[in-house]
Amino acid sequence: MEQNSFDAIVVGSGMSGGWAAKELTEKGLKTLVLERGHMVRHPDYPTATKDPWDLPYGNRITQETRRRKYVWSRTGYPTPANEQWFVEDIENPYVEEQPFDWLRAYHVGGRSMHWARQSYRLSPMDFEANGKEGVGVPWPVTYDEIAPWYDKAEIYAGISGSAEGLPQLPDGKFLPPFDLNCVEVDFKQRLEDKLKRKLIIGRVANLTAPLTHNESPQRGTCQSRNMCIRGCPFGGYFSSVSATLPSAERTGNMTLLADKIVYELIYDNDKGKATGVRVLDAKTGAQTDYFAKVIFLCASALGSAYLMLNSVSSRFPNGFGNDSGELGHNIMDHNKPGGSSASVEGYLDVAYTGRRPNGFYIPRYRNVGKDKRGYLRGFGYQGRAARSGFGRFNDSATIGADLKKEFQEPGPWNLGMTAFGEILPYHENHMTLDRSKKDRYGLPLLVVNAVVRENERKMEEDMRNDAAEMLEAAGYKNVKVNSDNYNVGNSIHEMGTARMGADPKKSVLNKYNQVHACKNVFVTDGSFMASSGCQNPSLTYMAFSARAADHAVNELKKGNL
Amino acid sequence: MTDEMLRRREVLRRVAWMLGGAVSAPAALAILQGCSAKEGGDAAAAFKPVFLTGASHMDIVAEVAEIIIPKTETSGAKDAGVPAFIDSVLAAVYPKDAQERFTAGLTEFAAAAAASGKPFLERGPPERVDFVKQSLDEALAGERNPKPFILMARELTLLGFFTSRVGITENMEYVAVPTAYHGCVPLSQMKKHVYWE
Repeated sequence: MEQNSFDAIVVGSGMSGGWAAKELTEKGLKTLVLERGHMVRHPDYPTATKDPWDLPYGNRITQETRRRKYVWSRTGYPTPANEQWFVEDIENPYVEEQPFDWLRAYHVGGRSMHWARQSYRLSPMDFEANGKEGVGVPWPVTYDEIAPWYDKAEIYAGISGSAEGLPQLPDGKFLPPFDLNCVEVDFKQRLEDKLKRKLIIGRVANLTAPLTHNESPQRGTCQSRNMCIRGCPFGGYFSSVSATLPSAERTGNMTLLADKIVYELIYDNDKGKATGVRVLDAKTGAQTDYFAKVIFLCASALGSAYLMLNSVSSRFPNGFGNDSGELGHNIMDHNKPGGSSASVEGYLDVAYTGRRPNGFYIPRYRNVGKDKRGYLRGFGYQGRAARSGFGRFNDSATIGADLKKEFQEPGPWNLGMTAFGEILPYHENHMTLDRSKKDRYGLPLLVVNAVVRENERKMEEDMRNDAAEMLEAAGYKNVKVNSDNYNVGNSIHEMGTARMGADPKKSVLNKYNQVHACKNVFVTDGSFMASSGCQNPSLTYMAFSARAADHAVNELKKGNL
Repeated sequence: MTDEMLRRREVLRRVAWMLGGAVSAPAALAILQGCSAKEGGDAAAAFKPVFLTGASHMDIVAEVAEIIIPKTETSGAKDAGVPAFIDSVLAAVYPKDAQERFTAGLTEFAAAAAASGKPFLERGPPERVDFVKQSLDEALAGERNPKPFILMARELTLLGFFTSRVGITENMEYVAVPTAYHGCVPLSQMKKHVYWE
C-alpha cells in the first residue's frame, strides 16, 4: 500500500494532465501520472524526420488502417506519417446512438501530440453569455479571474500571434506572429475595406522565437517543417511530451506510468473523500489500487465522465459526484458544417518559402457589438492561401514533356477556409454506460448520443453564406461552399460532460474544477466547460488546469482536502 | 545520397545541440534510418505486381505512366518507380469498388486499342501517345464521377512521381528543415520556383 501512495494522482497525460502534473510537482507534491496508452518520450518520434519518399503509398492510408482506425479515418487526418498517434478504434469500441466521432489518442501526451496548436482565449463575452442569455448554467469564473492563468499558459507554452485589441478575442503574451502570405494579406485588406471584418494570423503554439523563460531547455524554435503532427524532435511546438512532462520530471516528484487504465475512483464514505483509483494494466490485465490525497481527472471529456459514471457507491449511486444529474450531459464540440474555397487571380510572381504550421483566422463577428442575428453566439474561420501543386494536373489534358515543363512554375493561388461554430450546451446531448456490453478489459461500453440542434442549424446558414460573401467580396473566382456532414466530435473539441457552476444542483464542478460533492477530486480536461465558445479550447484547458492545481495545493496546505 | 546523408547529419546535429547532446539512441536511429531509402531507378525491372496481375496489365499501366511523365533530360515515371507504386497503391489503399473500376477500365482501354487497329503494347511510341491523348480527351469531355480509368491512372502517376525521390528532387526545391517561413517572396529570389510542401 505504501509504495502505491502519493500526494496526488493525475489521470491522463495529455494537454490538461501534463499541466496538472507540472504544477503539482513543482509545488512539491509527489505525483503519480497514469496514462492508459504507451510511453512516448521527447524527442523519440519515429516518423518525425522521414522524407516524403520514405513514406509508403505516397503517404496515403491503407484500407487496413481505415478498417482498424475507422473513426479516425472519418477525419482524414491519419497518414502513414502519423498514424501511430491515432487509437485503434476497432480495439476500443463505443456505441454511437447518433453518429459521434470520438477521436482518441492513447499514449503519453494524448492529443497534445497532434493537436492543431491553435491557441485562443475565451473572451469576457464568452464567460458572460450563458448567464445573460439563460443558457445552461452561468460560468462561475470571470474572464478577469482566469486572465492571469492564460498569461501563465501562454508564456510557458510559447504562443505566437499578433495583438489585435479585439474584445471578442483578447490578446495574450505572444511570441512574434507568423507571416500572412501575399494573398492572405490581400484577402485581409479586402475584408476590412468591404465588410469591416478582421483577418489575423493564427495564434499557434509554435516557437517563432526562443521562449522567454528557461524552464524548457529541451525545446528549440520552430523550423517551419510543418510536420508537427508527427511529433517534433526540435520541440518546436508545445505538447505535454515536449514541455510539461519534462518540467514535471525535473522536479523529481513525478512517477509516470504508461499502460495503466484507470477505471474507477475509490470513495471513502466515512471520510467523504476519494482515496485513490483502481487500475488495470493494459498489457497484463493486472489490477492495482493507487492512493493519494488529491486526484486530478484529465482523461478527456468523455474519458473522465466515463470514469466517474463507472464509479458508483452508496453515496454516488448514479456516478461519482453526480448529485446534479448533469454528469455525462451537455456534450459540446464545435460545429464544422463545411469548408469553402476559391481561386485567386494574379500574384503569379510571388510565393513563399518554408512550410508554415499555421493559417489565418477570422475571429467571430456575429452577435458581437451591434450585430444581432436570429441565433445565439457565433463562429470563426480558419484557413490559408497557397499556390496549387501537382494536384492541378489530375484533370488536365497536358502530358509528357509539356507537363514537366508546366510543373516548373507554381500553380495558381487557391484560398480555403473552414468555419467553427459554437454549440450550445444541451442536457439531451449525453453519454451513458452500457453495462451489458463489455470491452476487452471487461469494462462497460460508453454510449454517446449528441447532435446539433436548432441554434446550430440557423448559425450554419450564416457560416456558409458569409464564407461565400467574403470570398466573392474579395473578387475571387470559382467560389465553392461545401455542405459537409458533420458528426459531433469531429472537431476534436468535445467538452462539457461535468460542467462547472456555482449551483451544485445544476453542475458537477465548482469554480476551481473541484467536484462539488467531493472536494479532493478535480476535473480539468474539457469536461468542465460550461459553454464552448467558438475558439479552439486547449489554451483554456491549460489555464484552468494550472489554476486548479494551484488551488488544490493551497487547500491541501490549509488542511481542507 | 551524399547530400542526403549530409543533410540528415545536419538535422541530427541540430537536434543534438538543442538537447545538449542528449539524443537518445532510438531517436538517433530513427533519424538515420531514413538513409536506407530505396532509389526509384530500376525498381520496376525486378518487380512482381501484386494487383496488376492480368495479362499485360502491369505493362500497359507502366507505359501509360511513362507517357504521362516520360524520361526527358530528367527522370520519368519508370525511373521514379511509378509502376510499382501504382500497383501497391491499388492493392493496399484503394477500396474494392475503385479497384474493380480500375481493372474494368484497364481491360476496356486494352480492348479499345485492339479494336481500333492494334493492341496498345504493339503500337509504336507515337501511336501509343496518340491513343493515351485520345482516351484522356474523351474522359475529360465525359462524366468524371466516378473517375474513368485513364484519369485514375493519371492521378496515380502524378502521386507516385511527385512523392518519389527523383520526382521531388529533380522538379522542386526540397528543404527538409526550412528553419523559417517567409510569406511573400518574389519567384526571382527563389532557388527554384516550386518548393516541396
